[in-house]
Amino acid sequence: MKIGILSKRTTGLAGNIAKFFENKGHETKIYLLENFSIDESLFENDYYILKSKKLIYLYTGFYLKANNIPIYPDPELTYKHKNRIEAHFLIKKAGLLCPDYIYSSLNTLKEQLKTSDYPLIVKPIMGSGSRGVKKINCFEDLEGNANNILYLEQFIEGIHYVVYFIGDEICTLEKPPLSNEHVEMKEVLTTFEIEDVIKKWKNYYNLPFGHLDIVMEVNTKKIFVVDPGTFPEFTNCQPDKEPAPKICELILKNYRNGYERN
Amino acid sequence: MRKFLLIKHYYKIKLSMKNVKIGIIIDKYHLEYKVSEFLKYLKSIAEVSLYVEESYLLNSANHFYEEDLFFVKAKGDLILGFIKLIEEETSIPVINSYKGIWNAIHRFMHSTRLRKAGILIPDYCMNPVKWSNPYESYIVKNIIDQKIYKFKPHIEEVNGKLKVSDERALNEADDYQYFLYQKFIRSKWEYKIYGIGEEQIYFHRQLPVLVNANKMESRREIDEIPELKEVAIKAMETLDLKITSIDFLKSKEGYFYLTDINCTPNFNYIKNGYKIIADYLIKSSKQ
Repeated sequence: MKIGILSKRTTGLAGNIAKFFENKGHETKIYLLENFSIDESLFENDYYILKSKKLIYLYTGFYLKANNIPIYPDPELTYKHKNRIEAHFLIKKAGLLCPDYIYSSLNTLKEQLKTSDYPLIVKPIMGSGSRGVKKINCFEDLEGNANNILYLEQFIEGIHYVVYFIGDEICTLEKPPLSNEHVEMKEVLTTFEIEDVIKKWKNYYNLPFGHLDIVMEVNTKKIFVVDPGTFPEFTNCQPDKEPAPKICELILKNYRNGYERN
Repeated sequence: MRKFLLIKHYYKIKLSMKNVKIGIIIDKYHLEYKVSEFLKYLKSIAEVSLYVEESYLLNSANHFYEEDLFFVKAKGDLILGFIKLIEEETSIPVINSYKGIWNAIHRFMHSTRLRKAGILIPDYCMNPVKWSNPYESYIVKNIIDQKIYKFKPHIEEVNGKLKVSDERALNEADDYQYFLYQKFIRSKWEYKIYGIGEEQIYFHRQLPVLVNANKMESRREIDEIPELKEVAIKAMETLDLKITSIDFLKSKEGYFYLTDINCTPNFNYIKNGYKIIADYLIKSSKQ
């Protein structure tokens, strides 16, 4: 099979996935940004893996799907993971808790927010992980032009975790608040409550792997999902075990299931 | 007696229309320049509330609205977020929908979806900015048609081949690192079709904007073209747009190509457009 991998880089998990498939006798090609055109030339492959959520790759995913070229994960679901308002409703629909949000211009925030509304978390409207994420304690912490539209989330005081899942395996890591997935973290026991959140999420969207950033609120012990991800690097998760083989088996299973359905 | 009954019936209709609540989701620009007649008329037949992007605080915890219907006359990110909230948390209809607006502003997406639906679209692709042009004659368009800034073409004609680049696309090259190319279709006329629901389709024709930038100078209303009506309705259904304007070019072989679709058309260009839209919204609110 000829497999195309839509990824910003040839290293890391994308590189390991490519190696795994090549060792199995498949032909792979990694499509880096600026080295491919979104047109019929992409039809040369049998299957695509959407590793990156950058807009150009999402467009590529939609284009492939519209032209009946199988791609995993689904580009529409991937887009919804990346757009924070869409992600909010994905989380709610799965029956999970998520922080409320405010979306407004800087001017309007200045006029309408009260001191008691803070602290808040500012995030880019399109994005995942911790890039551009910052805690805002007062209005003066907000940056930008008067008409900049800012997305702010309710701040949940509690313990932060990143929870990876690959098939039935769940790996929970406690992380410093608002940090990215590559900082040093300690693996902790996956509690029943965390397992329940993951099961609800993966079953609702039929996801074989992925991750959720969650916060366990200190007072209520309620679990809030603050960020979902379709294709993390699985850094820190079982560092002695390479996740690529299991992920690839799940991807192939997904392809075979789709093929049999058609 | 008959006259009395007619007058009673008239006031009954007026009263029932007056109870209809319409929310207008808009930005400052459109509010200031594009909807004054429309709002004046709408306010005479319905209760109107305004939600202006630059001064509205969207709060996910607050999704209790009393409107019967929302009409959208903008396409910024906050507008999209607002529509999404309404659609997810209420059963209030929104014209146009989140899906419709999103697809309309993402040019590559609407081209892909429309072509998949069997509608004739000029060849298109997205190429890295450093790559050479894919077509002999082409137009480079901005990738997301969202901001309020006009089409400003840079035109080059070489040996009869037209190479056009929208300045908006050139300015955004650093952001995307890609250009969206559409194969150029040489056409004597540009056809502008307005769709207001599927029952009201209006046909206009003008000189192509590359020939005459002042499009209104040559624009004329024309008779219905059944072929275009069918395509327009199909495009509206495919993208979930209830109010739209759609551009077509006719090739020398006689084929109509859909070249652009707009989710916030300027209905002032249709005779009594403001009234047609307002009446359509009232009718839609009762369905």
